[in-house]
Amino acid sequence: MSGSSGPEGRPAGLHVDEIVQAEQVVGEEAALGEKGGAEARGRRGGLTTAAWVTPGALWLLFFVFAPVAMIVLVSFWTRTVSGFDPIWTLENYDFLFSSNVYWDQLWNSFWHSLVIVGLALVLGFPVAYFLAICVTSLRYQIALFIIALAPFWTSYLIRAVAWIPMMGRQGALNTALLELGLISEPLDVLLFSDFAVTVAMLQLYILFMVAPIFFMLAQIDRSSLEAARDLGANAFQSFREVILPQSAPGIVIGSIFVFILTMGEFATVRIIGGGTVSSVGTIVQTQVASVQFPQAAASAVFLVLAMIIGVFVLLRFSNLREEL
Amino acid sequence: MEEKSAAGASPPPPTGAGLELKGLTKQFGEDLAAVDDVNLHIAHGEYVVLLGPSGCGKTTTLRMIGGHEEPTKGDILLDGESLLGLPPDKRPTTTVFQHFALFPHRTVLENVEFGPKMRGIPKEERREKARGALDMVGLRPMADRKPSALSGGQQQRVALARVLVMEPKALLLDEPLGDLDRLLRLRMRVELRALQRQLGLMFIHVTHDQEEALSVGDRIVVMHEGRIEQVADPYTISNLPDNVEVATFMGDNNIFEGTISRRDGDAISVESGEAEIRGLAPGVDTSVGKPAVVSIRASAVQVEQDAAASGPNEILAEIDVVEYLGDLVKLHVSSEGRRLVAKVAGDRYPEFRNTEGSSVRLSWKEEDVRLLRA
Repeated sequence: MSGSSGPEGRPAGLHVDEIVQAEQVVGEEAALGEKGGAEARGRRGGLTTAAWVTPGALWLLFFVFAPVAMIVLVSFWTRTVSGFDPIWTLENYDFLFSSNVYWDQLWNSFWHSLVIVGLALVLGFPVAYFLAICVTSLRYQIALFIIALAPFWTSYLIRAVAWIPMMGRQGALNTALLELGLISEPLDVLLFSDFAVTVAMLQLYILFMVAPIFFMLAQIDRSSLEAARDLGANAFQSFREVILPQSAPGIVIGSIFVFILTMGEFATVRIIGGGTVSSVGTIVQTQVASVQFPQAAASAVFLVLAMIIGVFVLLRFSNLREEL
Repeated sequence: MEEKSAAGASPPPPTGAGLELKGLTKQFGEDLAAVDDVNLHIAHGEYVVLLGPSGCGKTTTLRMIGGHEEPTKGDILLDGESLLGLPPDKRPTTTVFQHFALFPHRTVLENVEFGPKMRGIPKEERREKARGALDMVGLRPMADRKPSALSGGQQQRVALARVLVMEPKALLLDEPLGDLDRLLRLRMRVELRALQRQLGLMFIHVTHDQEEALSVGDRIVVMHEGRIEQVADPYTISNLPDNVEVATFMGDNNIFEGTISRRDGDAISVESGEAEIRGLAPGVDTSVGKPAVVSIRASAVQVEQDAAASGPNEILAEIDVVEYLGDLVKLHVSSEGRRLVAKVAGDRYPEFRNTEGSSVRLSWKEEDVRLLRA
């Protein structure tokens, strides 16, 4: 290090070159170490790797690939009175492509899901922000998060059904509005309508949006927010430049959850929508109920495709692999 | 070249120029004053270190200057204008935070250009500035990496470049070397010092590390329990501590409590147990019979084996631990229940090796005795 006092004529100041070099050498050694390790792993053979991969692969096989493959397979089989025979046919798809109702419904459900994703984001982000950033005590943070989770302690169906006494013609909301004199006739739009289905789904699924955003926001180093303010960002700029980009993975994951869950929904639509509202989910369910399994499978194939397209669109908003 | 810029730091500033802390006070809760009536003037181009143990109020003071904490009382003036009430983004100060506080989702270059971007400087211009700042810290080749791909020392330099690009009037450094390992810390403090000389900028550096403070500062402000204990150049802080807090915190000072037994002009004698300590206290208001505390630096103590203690400024002590530190040997000794320290040259180590338990004579000169303020 004695050399670092430097020859004359060197600008007063930094002897960083050698330090940078020294650190680079350390870095390269570390990189070499990794490479050596990889070779050693290679020599030990693929057996260890296979052992590590197997549980995950089996899980995927049984819970994702096998059911989807089954659906695709059945969609090409022939319908019988009691189910289906493994006789190849395109009849199910012929029927599907000749039906405008199905495609309208698919398109409607797609948009409806995106609207719910948007609403869940607009309403859910402030909640997550409040929990993660505004509440500074970890105790309160956890306590409030558990309170937010409380509705999930009851079954999904009960929560859906609970909307009926709330929104019905003689329900709590209509009664309250009537008592307050804000309306003179009970509102029919509150139940068995698109509006009712949207509100109910929002309540049922918003936590899937709040939770991932909350976890991302909670990881943000508060001093980086102070640094942003210190470097001249006003409150809005530090939100846009520091908080929002760092919560993007949470927003994308939350959106995927809400999108997938609402896109295939049929129970809420049945309960809250009554007979007046339908979705791709209810179409598939009706077909299953009337033992038209191959037809239901063909309908489901395009539902799955639509979901995949939606997920890909959502994934474009954040590089999850890099940012998580 | 170094001397020239060093001289540039010392001339007295024009009135009103520089940073002025006036009766600065920060209260957390009812009766807990984190910072208590701090008065301090810092000139432009000066490197000032706020030094003290954790909880002494040094970081709170820095955060109040930066606008991250509102003072309960007092004022902060920069070039005669109050900074009170201004948010951090409106203040001409920038802070290097302890854990660097880099933006993890941005590249090195994007981190550095953040400040100019917030000021609305066009893209090409701010990129040019950012590259210039990265050149200054030798990190231009790393411009496109994410902070997580850098070493601690490199992250530290990005944090520096990010604030330098703002061309602040005062640079605030909150334990800037705290996250680095020792060797890097030693090099970075030299870099910081050189950088400050080069830029001629006001640096206010918070640390709890005595050696770091002595190494970088033009002036050191020793703080204790929210108050300033002493403000002086590093030599004075090290050799002429004002009071017990400073003498204790700086370490390697032998502190004797006793009473004044003689006063003869500037010369005083202090009786402390069996020991008689003679020293000089010019201009100090004290008289015979009053309590007194004196301090003697460990390196001013001479150590003799097999010698008798016969006069003033000589005591016998027993060696507890011999600590070899390369350039010097630190002898931890005790005398009449007092724990004392003496430092002798490293080449005397063979003489003291394995002498734990043996008796030695400690002695010192009158001029090395410092009478401390009570």
